[in-house]
Amino acid sequence: MKGLLFSNSHEWVKIDHDIATVGISDYAQSQLGDVVFIELPQEGSSFDKNSQFATIESTKTASEVYMPLSGEVIKVNSELTNNPQWINNDPYDKGWIVKLKIKNISETESLMKDDAYKDFVEKEAH
Amino acid sequence: MITMELKKTPFYQKHLEHKAKIVDYAGYALALEYKSILGEAKAARNTCGLFDASHMGQLVISGNKSFDFIQQAVTNDISQLVPGQMQYNLFLNDKAKVLDDCMVYCRKDDFFCVVNAANKEKVYNWLKQKKISGVDIRDESDGTALLSLQGPVSSFLIDDVVERKVSDLKYLSFEEFSFSGHKIVISRSGYTGEDGFEIYLPWAKALIFWDKILEAGRDRGLTLCGLGARDILRIEAGYPLYGHELSEDIDPYTAGLGWAVKLNKEFNGKKELSGLKEKASLQKRIGFVLKERGLPRQGYGVFFNGSCIGRVSSGIFSPNLEQFIGMAFVDRNILGSAKDIQIGIRDKLYKAEVVRFPFIQPRVKPSK
Repeated sequence: MKGLLFSNSHEWVKIDHDIATVGISDYAQSQLGDVVFIELPQEGSSFDKNSQFATIESTKTASEVYMPLSGEVIKVNSELTNNPQWINNDPYDKGWIVKLKIKNISETESLMKDDAYKDFVEKEAH
Repeated sequence: MITMELKKTPFYQKHLEHKAKIVDYAGYALALEYKSILGEAKAARNTCGLFDASHMGQLVISGNKSFDFIQQAVTNDISQLVPGQMQYNLFLNDKAKVLDDCMVYCRKDDFFCVVNAANKEKVYNWLKQKKISGVDIRDESDGTALLSLQGPVSSFLIDDVVERKVSDLKYLSFEEFSFSGHKIVISRSGYTGEDGFEIYLPWAKALIFWDKILEAGRDRGLTLCGLGARDILRIEAGYPLYGHELSEDIDPYTAGLGWAVKLNKEFNGKKELSGLKEKASLQKRIGFVLKERGLPRQGYGVFFNGSCIGRVSSGIFSPNLEQFIGMAFVDRNILGSAKDIQIGIRDKLYKAEVVRFPFIQPRVKPSK
């Protein structure tokens, strides 16, 4: 997934100027199993990096989703409410969760690029 | 990681080959899911699903007093059975709470009891302790593999594999069939509410049977199903599961299983149970459907008019109803005949409606 950044709690971020799109990685969705529900945050709410902003319910478990960057939620993917399976089927495109107005771009420095994230996942899986 | 101590069924390697997610279930390494829990649960209603249930405990009670002994041990009336028939039963402890639920198979010379894996040791020891002379109790769990084939297409697959048709087999009946030179037992039964079969095999023949069934099902929608799908299907059918709707804190009436208790006979726990029926236990098991999206899980509170009146015992997203459904124990008197309740999920209350069991009407073949 070229061009994406990843957190060690398996969220991905796509940066476009001061806007970040956030979702969960393909590895994360494969660990969750079938997603059946997502509790989304309110548009306009602000979150600090690493704070919980959504909950994903899968057939197996309820998982918290954490902010990879601090900022204000300017848009939520409300279509996920009726199509939670998009998180499984298309985690990097239709399965995006929120768009964020980035508060502090320097926070991206602690995120992993795709190669580093691939290694990270391989280590975690073993 | 799975530790080495977990017991493996004869199908363990097959589960790995099919990329199952393996979990520890009652000390057994079993498949939670293969590809998708929801897809598996749909397949079992639309075509057919194959489940490895070899972890279930199998106890054989034999001897000239075996009828009297079992009849005293269980709540249902096994005098209704002729050889070749089976019946749902409960074992109660001395406080009339549920030790385990089980299926009793009435054979020509003995009784075959299928119990929950997690309760097998407990039930075996309890039976041993109650044993009377003229009764012998054997644990045959380790030599016996159990596959469950469930769904509308199941009978066609079985017909392809065994030497004669299973179409005449009635619901909750069983017979011996010949397979690859061995006798195997097939019952028309299951834990899904669909037409289906449970197949008891000696370990030596288990893998050959697995391969043959998969071959027979290749172009007919046969889907391997794990424990996740099994849980969804039993909840949709309204069936209780030990550890959720049954335990040593729950009596049969609270669990809604009064139909499996026959007061016209003697059984262990009857004295303690009598009176309960008339008084009606304080709690009852209900089914509910969420009116908004949210997943009810075991332990979540059930609310009515602002106060907590009970707890969720099981909850799922039902892929066959496309609704969030669950079971709960609630205060019978406070709820009355009201239908509108709420489920507390994390810090919010979600609207739900009390519904009658089952969520999905059974499609089993008539038994008589």
